[in-house]
Amino acid sequence: MPSVDIHCVDVSKRFGATEVVAPLSITLEAGQTTALVGPSGCGKSTLLRMIAGLEDPDTGEIRLGDEAPQAVARRGGLAMAFQDPSLLPWRSVRANIALGAELARKPGGDVDALIDLVGLGGFADHRPAELSGGMRQRAAIARSLISAPDVLLLDEPFGAVDAMTRRRLNAELPPLWRSRGATVVLITHSVEEAVLLSDRVLVLSSRPARVVADIPVDLSGTRDARLLETPDAMAVSRQVFAALEAA
Amino acid sequence: MMPTVRAIGWCLFLLALWEALARISPDTVLVSSPSAIAAYVAENMGLLARATAETSVNAMWGFVWGNLGAVLLGVTMILVPRSQRTLSALALLVFCVPLIASGPILRVLFGTGTGPQVMLGALAVYYTTLLTFLIGLRSVSQNWTDLMRIYGRGALSTLIRVRARASLPYLFVGLQISAPAAFLGAMIGEFTGAERGLGVLTLRAMRGLDTDATWTLAVVAACVAMAAYSVIGWVGERAVGYKPVILLSAPASSVPTASWMRLAELGFIAVLVLALWQSSMDAFDLNRFFAKRPGDVWAFLMEPQNRDTLFSALAETLSFAAPGYIAGLAVGAGLAALLVLSPSLSGAAMPVAVALRAVPIITTAPLLVLAFGRGLVGTMVVVAVMIFFPTFVACQQGLRQTPGQIVDVFKSYGAGRWHLLRAAQVPAMLPAFFASARMAVPAALLAVTTVEWLATGKGIGLLMAMTASTSDYNMLWSCVAVLALVATAAYGMVAMMERAVLRIYASEQVV
Repeated sequence: MPSVDIHCVDVSKRFGATEVVAPLSITLEAGQTTALVGPSGCGKSTLLRMIAGLEDPDTGEIRLGDEAPQAVARRGGLAMAFQDPSLLPWRSVRANIALGAELARKPGGDVDALIDLVGLGGFADHRPAELSGGMRQRAAIARSLISAPDVLLLDEPFGAVDAMTRRRLNAELPPLWRSRGATVVLITHSVEEAVLLSDRVLVLSSRPARVVADIPVDLSGTRDARLLETPDAMAVSRQVFAALEAA
Repeated sequence: MMPTVRAIGWCLFLLALWEALARISPDTVLVSSPSAIAAYVAENMGLLARATAETSVNAMWGFVWGNLGAVLLGVTMILVPRSQRTLSALALLVFCVPLIASGPILRVLFGTGTGPQVMLGALAVYYTTLLTFLIGLRSVSQNWTDLMRIYGRGALSTLIRVRARASLPYLFVGLQISAPAAFLGAMIGEFTGAERGLGVLTLRAMRGLDTDATWTLAVVAACVAMAAYSVIGWVGERAVGYKPVILLSAPASSVPTASWMRLAELGFIAVLVLALWQSSMDAFDLNRFFAKRPGDVWAFLMEPQNRDTLFSALAETLSFAAPGYIAGLAVGAGLAALLVLSPSLSGAAMPVAVALRAVPIITTAPLLVLAFGRGLVGTMVVVAVMIFFPTFVACQQGLRQTPGQIVDVFKSYGAGRWHLLRAAQVPAMLPAFFASARMAVPAALLAVTTVEWLATGKGIGLLMAMTASTSDYNMLWSCVAVLALVATAAYGMVAMMERAVLRIYASEQVV
């Protein structure tokens, strides 16, 4: 599995008169999970969309490894989960998840094992309309994982999931993408989630987005809810909160 | 079970009422009774069956070709976005030529046979299908198209995996509307000089003042068209499960802002149309005697005498069409607004109006002319009736789009029904009203020219009917060109008013 690092060099973006992302340079290391946190509307999503190749930066350049994002997309190396599940209503859960592999032109692997993993066992043949909001979101996350992407972009994918499921997914999904060596960028509003899931937290300022803090998350032990109660984790959380308040 | 029984009960009651009215009517030339129609059907079973089969087969081929063309056009416009504005302008221009004007032209180009009927059937359906299909193709969320791009997939893949399936419910609405329209097109093709079919029988019945035959033919045409409408509706519901509400908005595409850009675009399209006209005539090496080129029409119109004849006929036609157009829109929108004050009445009226919208109204034109005379009133009624049903249905659907929360706000202040209607529901209806006002422009011109051709013997309809029989092909082609220009200009004017009003009341609809 090739690992891909993400280079943003002097990247900026404006929509009309509004500067959304100020010139910004960061490197996200291969195989790491980086969380982006920051105030609402600060330009996190725009940055993520530029990494995905959905928007072109006005200045600067984004490279995934030594390729342009669009080139990685064409060889099926990218996947993304949106805030909204965006499932195709006419496909069953299984077919929606398989779509990820189909579009990436990759063998699907074990769709049913993944369905069980995200807790949708028994719902594989249901249509999205028959599922709850949280179940749809889990199907969307499974769709982004099925193609074993090199770069996985998660735009607040757990926002609409209920607290218990969120806790379970927080524990079970990261080992999956870590074991595949994916480079993950996660947008979240939850500081705890950022600390729990990532190797590094980037705190962004309000618009236009700049990096105000770059906090490594160097925690040993199993990454589950209990970890958050350790002094080390609480120290990291405090650091992130402090940076957010200053942002 | 109960609704079916009740529906049958209503039908029997209406038939009895009709029979009674026909019996007490002093004027037997005007109204046929159901029993007289039944008797006529029994007597002429073989003839009617052969004519119905002939017209239905022509309509079916028109339906197939027209819808196929619409789907190809829609797909091209989505895959090649740069082609959108030019293609939609060409599609609109062709749609604006009244069928009764293209009929004789196709007749001289195709000669005898079923070509013109099929072609007119196709022309009658392709535009509404194109509009509904395009709305469907665009009814995809941005996340879906983003998803395709995330995996490096292009427009073709998005079309196949997302847009095609998402557009199906919309396409079925278009196909359903186009079934009666194809039938109408085929019949108009038969009016303009076929040998067989319901249209030919209608002409003969009218010329012979045969009331029973005229009524029977109108009823048969209406029944076949409504049957096709119902079958496609049933298939659509089975296949995709639901029916979206569609306002026939103009195909969305960005309008260039600078006025010189718009002028340049208009000029480009005009040159393109003339070039297509000239080259298609040349490519098939069509005889200049009947296949006129743009230059011939220009030379013909440069003669003041020809111009006077054409324009005075056109003025007469427009003076009949305009009041009918306005009356049809006003009554349709007014009735829809009034009915919203009484929800139970509106619930009952809606299915009836939807069903009647499917009747190819032109086939009832001879009856309306029998009843209201060959003057202004008769023509006006035909035009108004043609426009009334689609307007009424669209406005009712528009009124139902009023957001429930806004209605609740009004109710929580104890506002009266009239106040709610005026301040919330009528504005919510405006997009639907203007969409139907725009689509009604070509419909009104079709109605007025057809009724002139068939029955009243006035205006540009008569002029075309005469030129077709006297082989004055210069006049015929000039009439068609002028009518196309007038219809497109009127359509454009209504569309401009629509944009101005919608910018205020429904900014999300203005693209």
